[in-house]
Amino acid sequence: MPLVDLTCSATLPALAAAAGGGRSAREAAVDSERALERFLAGIERRAYRIAQLALRDHAEAQDAVQDAMIRLVRNYAGHPPEQWRPLFYRILRNRITDSQRRRKVRNAVMAWWAAGVTEDEASDPLVSAVDPGGGPDAVLEGEELLARIEQALAGLSSRQREAFLLRNFEGMDVAQTAVAMGCSEGSVKTHYFRALQALQEVLGEWKR
Amino acid sequence: METMNERMRELERRSREAFDSSVEALPAATRRHLARARAEALAGLRRGRPQWSAGWIPAGAAAAAALVGVMLWQGARQGELPEEPSLTAFEDLDLVAGAEELDMFEEDGEFYAWAAEQASGDAG
Repeated sequence: MPLVDLTCSATLPALAAAAGGGRSAREAAVDSERALERFLAGIERRAYRIAQLALRDHAEAQDAVQDAMIRLVRNYAGHPPEQWRPLFYRILRNRITDSQRRRKVRNAVMAWWAAGVTEDEASDPLVSAVDPGGGPDAVLEGEELLARIEQALAGLSSRQREAFLLRNFEGMDVAQTAVAMGCSEGSVKTHYFRALQALQEVLGEWKR
Repeated sequence: METMNERMRELERRSREAFDSSVEALPAATRRHLARARAEALAGLRRGRPQWSAGWIPAGAAAAAALVGVMLWQGARQGELPEEPSLTAFEDLDLVAGAEELDMFEEDGEFYAWAAEQASGDAG
């Protein structure tokens, strides 16, 4: 379905007007807000974990998801609900890239001024990789497995990693992933296949 | 004997299960934070705040990106840059090359072009 009017700023009156029909504007607006609430509630935890896997930082992942929510609501609330998920992940992807860029800039500036002296306070990816806390054996096994996968994902190119996270973890189809990644469906298939190949190679006999 | 395709399907399945379990096991504090973020986003909808200026580019962003690009290039040559766990050297340069996205996250021009093309195709 085509995406239109991308620059619109959604407000309740706008949503109400879009909903139209015989209902009152207020009822339509409330319905739209509830639909958005359901959408965000259904997506936020998975989006956070995906952001955490990409950024390997708990706080940055939370901020990225929050910003993506705000931006989706602000600019795309008036779009058909079936477009929200790829749009949301498109925004989140850009936000993650932005965070990586900021991190890179920080590191570059520090390296510039400190003449190559690196800071030990940089976040430890091993600490932030897996959520702490106990749980049943099955969950611990899953976390351990996910930690290994996360490590393997870090070795992929960003495009391969995005394709794997969106396709396999978020369960998006090729067309939705293409919108989220801003590339063709063919590219999504290529990146995803290469990601699987690379992970298989790195993880080796992990499954036993 | 297991084929490569079967091994990949197994990798997909097992990794997805592990991911789903980790989502279910998110700490309560994280879940609360996300719920608050959602509420704040929706509150913004009710307030109908004005949109950010989509075309605004921070002054000096391009110059800053160019400077950082030089830093990265020189650092990479001298082996001084701290390593990022998930980015290659090419991606480093790619990341700082986009000055328009240095200070804010906007959907890129390619996306808008694609969307406009879709819209015009739909209209015509």
